[in-house]
This record gives sequence, C-alpha cells and structure tokens, in this order.
Amino acid sequence: MKKLLALLMCVAMLISFGVSAAFAEETVEITAWVYPVGNWGDPAVVGPIIEGFEAANPGIKVTVEYLDYTSGDDQVNTAIEGGQAPDVVMEAPERLVANWGAKGVMLDLADMWDETDEAEVFEGVKTACFTGDGKLFVYPAVMTAHCMAINYDAFVEAGADQYVDLTTRTWTTENFFKAVDALTEKFGGPVCAVFCAGQGGDQGTRALIANLHEGTITDGTQYIAASEGNAKALTELRDSEGVAIDASIVGGDEIALFYNETFKMAFCWNAAQQLNPNSANTGAGLTINGQKIEYMAFPSEDGVPSLEGGIWGFGIFDPAVRSGDNVDARTEAAKAFIKYVAGSEEGLTATVKAANFFACRDTIKGASLEGIWADNEIMAGYTTLLSNLGPYYQVTPGWTEARTAWWNMLQQVGTGTDPMEALTAYDAAGNAAAAG
Amino acid sequence: MGKRGAMSRALVRRETISGYLFLLPSLIFFVGFVVYPMFMCIFTSFFDSTMGRSDIFVGLANYKELFTDPIFLRALKNTVIIVVVSVPVTCAFSLWAASVIYKLQGPLRSAFRCIFYLPVVTGSVAVTVVWKWMYNNYYGIFNYLGKAVGILDKNINWLGDANFALGCIILILLTTSVGQPIVLYVSALGNVDHSLVEAAQVDGATNLQVFWKIKWAQIMPTTLYILIITTINSFQCFALIQLLTSGGPNHSTDTIMYYIYYEAFKLFRYGYGNAMGVILAIIIAIFSALQFRLAKADTSY
Repeated sequence: MKKLLALLMCVAMLISFGVSAAFAEETVEITAWVYPVGNWGDPAVVGPIIEGFEAANPGIKVTVEYLDYTSGDDQVNTAIEGGQAPDVVMEAPERLVANWGAKGVMLDLADMWDETDEAEVFEGVKTACFTGDGKLFVYPAVMTAHCMAINYDAFVEAGADQYVDLTTRTWTTENFFKAVDALTEKFGGPVCAVFCAGQGGDQGTRALIANLHEGTITDGTQYIAASEGNAKALTELRDSEGVAIDASIVGGDEIALFYNETFKMAFCWNAAQQLNPNSANTGAGLTINGQKIEYMAFPSEDGVPSLEGGIWGFGIFDPAVRSGDNVDARTEAAKAFIKYVAGSEEGLTATVKAANFFACRDTIKGASLEGIWADNEIMAGYTTLLSNLGPYYQVTPGWTEARTAWWNMLQQVGTGTDPMEALTAYDAAGNAAAAG
Repeated sequence: MGKRGAMSRALVRRETISGYLFLLPSLIFFVGFVVYPMFMCIFTSFFDSTMGRSDIFVGLANYKELFTDPIFLRALKNTVIIVVVSVPVTCAFSLWAASVIYKLQGPLRSAFRCIFYLPVVTGSVAVTVVWKWMYNNYYGIFNYLGKAVGILDKNINWLGDANFALGCIILILLTTSVGQPIVLYVSALGNVDHSLVEAAQVDGATNLQVFWKIKWAQIMPTTLYILIITTINSFQCFALIQLLTSGGPNHSTDTIMYYIYYEAFKLFRYGYGNAMGVILAIIIAIFSALQFRLAKADTSY
C-alpha cells in the first residue's frame, strides 16, 4: 500500500513538473522598470496598457516595477552590478544613451528600427536616441517641451499680466523682470526660486538661464556655458529681489511651493504638471486654492525661446547584466513589448495618454496621431510650445557629472561667487567628465 | 586507557563539530556580509573599477587622489566637525538627562525614557521630513517663531545657507542620537552600588565628589560603549545629508559617507569610493582605540 502511495505521489509530481515546464515553455515572463514619466508611475493607468499588450501577445507576461527619481537610479545601478537588471526600462536618452548606454550595458535596438520609424520619427528625437556610431539605445515613445508656469490670478492682481502673451505663450527677458518686480512689490519677495539643492528638475533652471540672454550650455560634444549671456542672466537673477537662488529646495519642492501659492512662478513645469499640478488631483491648471495656472515659454531677449525637450522611450538591458533563464526569448518578448507600447497605433496612443505628453512622431505606420489630444484643450494648446523646441543636448558625454556640477555652480553663484568664474568651473567639470 | 582516550577524543571531535555546526548559520552571515565585503572593499580600492568594463589595477593611485581631492578633504573636515561636536554633546546631554530621569519613580521614569527614545524608533525618513518642514525657508516654524519673538528680522534659509546648514544637520543628529544613551545611562545609574555612595556620604563627600569618584567610575563601561557607538554613528552620517541637502550648499554638508555614495553610485567610481571607505574605517578604528585607551585608564575606582 505504501509503495503504491509513493508511486502515485511520484507520478503526480512528474505530471505537475511537466505541466509547469510546458507552461514555462509557452509563457515568457519579462520585467519592465518604469520611471514616473507623467502617469507611468501609476499602476492604475499602466495596468490597462499591459493588459492590452498581454491580450495581443498571449505568450508574454509583463511584470512592471515602478521607480522614482529619488532612488530609481540607485536601484537600477545596483541591479546592473548584481546582474539582476530588468529586461525593459523606460526613461530618457540622458540615462539610457548618455549614462547606461555609454557604459555598455544597454542592448542595441537598431534591428527594431524599420523604414516606417525612420520616416515618421522626428529628426531631433532620432539624434537623441541613436549614438554617433548608429546604435539605438532608446526606442522613442513620447516627448514634451519643458516650460515654466505662472500664477495668472496673482499676475492680474499685481498688474503683471500685461507682460505675458497667452496666445504665443512667449515673453521677453525685459518683461519677465518687470513682472518679477511687480509681483514682488505686490506680494513681497521672493516670488520664484532658482532651486539648486540637487536631484531632478535641472532642465528648468538651465533653460531659464540659457534663454534670458541667448546663452548656450553645450554644443553636443562639450560644455560651453561660460558665456557673457549666461553670466549676465545669473547676475540679474541673483540681484533680483524677487528671485531666490535657493540651495534648500529641489524641483519638486519648487512645484509644491508654487502650487501652495508661496511662489508666483515655477521653472520646473511641463504639460503633465499643467494637467495635474503637484500631482495633487485638485484640478487641471489650478493651484491649491483654485487660482489659475498658465504655462509659459522661458523668456528671451527677442521673445523667441529655445526650449529644452524631454524625450522618453524604452530600452532593453544587455543580456550580460540580466540573469535568469530564456534570456534570448525574453529579449524577443521585450522587443515585442516595446514595439507595442511605442511602435503601434494602439499602444503608442495609450502610452502618450498615460504620459500626458506627445508622441515622438506625427504618424505611425501612416496613421495620423494628431488627434490624440483633440479632446483636451490644455494639451491641444500646449502644442504651441513644441514649435519652440531647441536641440536635445542632454546626451552630451559626461552628463551625469555635469548635472551635479550645474547644481554646484548655482549654489556658488547664490553664495556670492562671480557667475563667470562659477560657469567656467562648471564647464571644466563637465568637460573633464566628458573626456573620461 | 587507550580505548578510553580514543573515545574521549571522538567525543571531543563530535562536540567540536556540533559546536561549529551551531555556529555555521551565523558564520555564513558574518563571512558573507562582513568579512567578504570588507575584503572586497580593500581589494577593489587598488583598482580603477567602474561599470561596464574590466577593472584596471592602479595600486595606491586612488589613495593618492583622495588627499588631493578638495571635495574629499572638505567632506573629511565636515565629518570631523560633526563627530567633535555631536559626540561630547550627546554624551553630556544624555548623562544630564539620565541623572534627572533615573531619580523619578515608576511611570514617570518610563514615560521620559519613552519620549527620549521615540526619535530612535521613528523612521529616519519621517524624522527628516518633519525637520525639513521646520527648517523651511518660506513657512518653517523656526523662521516663524524667530520673527514672532523678534530674534530674526527676515527668514533664514537654514539648509540653503552654508553658514547654517551643517549646524542644522548636527542638531537633527543630536535629537536622534540621545535616545539610546539616555536609556543606557538611566540603567547604569540605577545599578551603581548604593553602599559605596552611602559610605562616601558618611565620610562627608559632596554631591560632586560622590558623582565624580563613585558614580562616574562605575558607569565608565557604559560611557565607553556610548562614546564608541555615537562616534561610529556620527562618522556614518548619511541619510540626513542624502535626504536634506545632497551635500550642498557648495559642499558645506558633504560628509565622507555621502561622498562615497556619490562617487560609487552616481559616478560609478567603485575603486575610488572603496578607497574612501577604507580611510573612513581606519579613522573610526583610530578614534575608537583612543577612546578605549582613555576610558580604560579611567575605569579603576
């Protein structure tokens, strides 16, 4: 009897093993780590996209893990070093190309790039996602133009609304400082801050300073921020009573202070923020007390700004830094996933909507994407800013070090260092990092 | 005799093996999480080690670079300031608070111990967020109170001003560091041999003499432990910096621990980061040895 029982148990185990092995052969499981690009940090928004993909690809299961910008890099770096990197990662070229790509831990996705992609994706986006030697480390999905925001009700109250043009969303440097002065006189200073405690949001302060007097940060290969224009901009910002160069706050703090109406302007802004200020779910384009927020381009001498673009897409880590079985099958599954979320009409539309940004192409396989935001007045209007996009230079070599050096430069200016001296030190740090 | 001796040896061997088997789980953790990382830290410090390529042996180059790196030297200076300020203050305040608390009775004593220990068991992120709010440049309570009572004319950017930022960090460190020493001191003071105290009092000793000659000597082992633990914690100050200032403004709050993190995890310079780790370990060892020696010389009574 005992022998029979043992035999039955063995048979049952073998059958279950066979079933699970067969299941494992049929289903490929991949992991995707996503940074909070718009609402891509929200499982309730991302979940349906994954379900849509899995329904169209029954043999693939996707597990999504959500990163944040505070500790996400550390998590990814630790995973890479431990050979436990995820299959797919969603982020911007500044990380996927300039950082991990340059370190050789990203997979070249050039074989995914077809003639349609070549024809439809915007040229500036292609330049950012491909390396100089033709490797594709980011399959692009969404983009936006970084901008600033104003508390329009406060502007009206201070009589500063005369300085902004809400049709073109542009203004001049002269009018910007007039508005700052008017707001400061009305509400007391500071009314805005060049935040520089570190971490994210650097694109805001960079674009502000570079636009004020036609400065430049990089030429794509080296850092050339030490110019008269940038030095003049920094001097004017530091000398303005209404502008704080604040080393105690980061971009997220600035948004919170703008949202709670302490500040009347914010420099860390984009379309996703306009739709949901401070991610507080208290209404599009409204502060905590319901005052009206308007997005604006950064001011420039001639009123024609050169805005910094944000590009986000998907990459696959090199098999050498991924562990587990079926790496080849997982790579193919990851490519299928990316082709769905960034290269198909259904998937890309959902991705764009989730990100609250814009597609990196006008059409996809011939189908127009222009109507994605037709139902949303804010987003439809926001496209005005896209025409002011400047070159995407965040893939300049040494970007990680240069970003830290940027904060240090601002902190030095804030504590009295001569702006040109601080900018020269910034260039030196960035170029030293770029040189390896 | 020979047979009994052989049996005895077999028994000893069996017990030895059993002993080591009992030790094995702890040993695995100790070797895996302490010995091996320490060895790898020292080993890697001799290499130019980064992500995505093989390590390159550079000998002592990382160590040489350390002492010409102005940011490391600044971080070292800041770390020493934190230790030199926070360790004596923590010990003195803890001893004073404990000397008051241990005389209290029952629930009151427990309540004070609990209050002082709360910051220790509260998550460091939660503590930091509250402090960040209190230090806030625009609506923080320190600026609000300072202006309300007329001490301040205008807001001070506590964490954004290089003149104040390190002091603010030290203040937070103090509040999170005193809990354990107070509890330990309350316990140690309660265990002081009362007959010695009474004898000294009968002999006409003053309160100061009783404390210095009797109590201080008897609580010296506790003091030694507190000194070493507080010193190590102060040297390893990281979370506050990471969460509040990221080493700024202008490197005024960089500490060695934060700089190790920055070099290793942001810039992927593992070898250089490990060289800093080795130097930090040596400094902590020297400080601890000094404290041991000084306290040991003072423990006889």
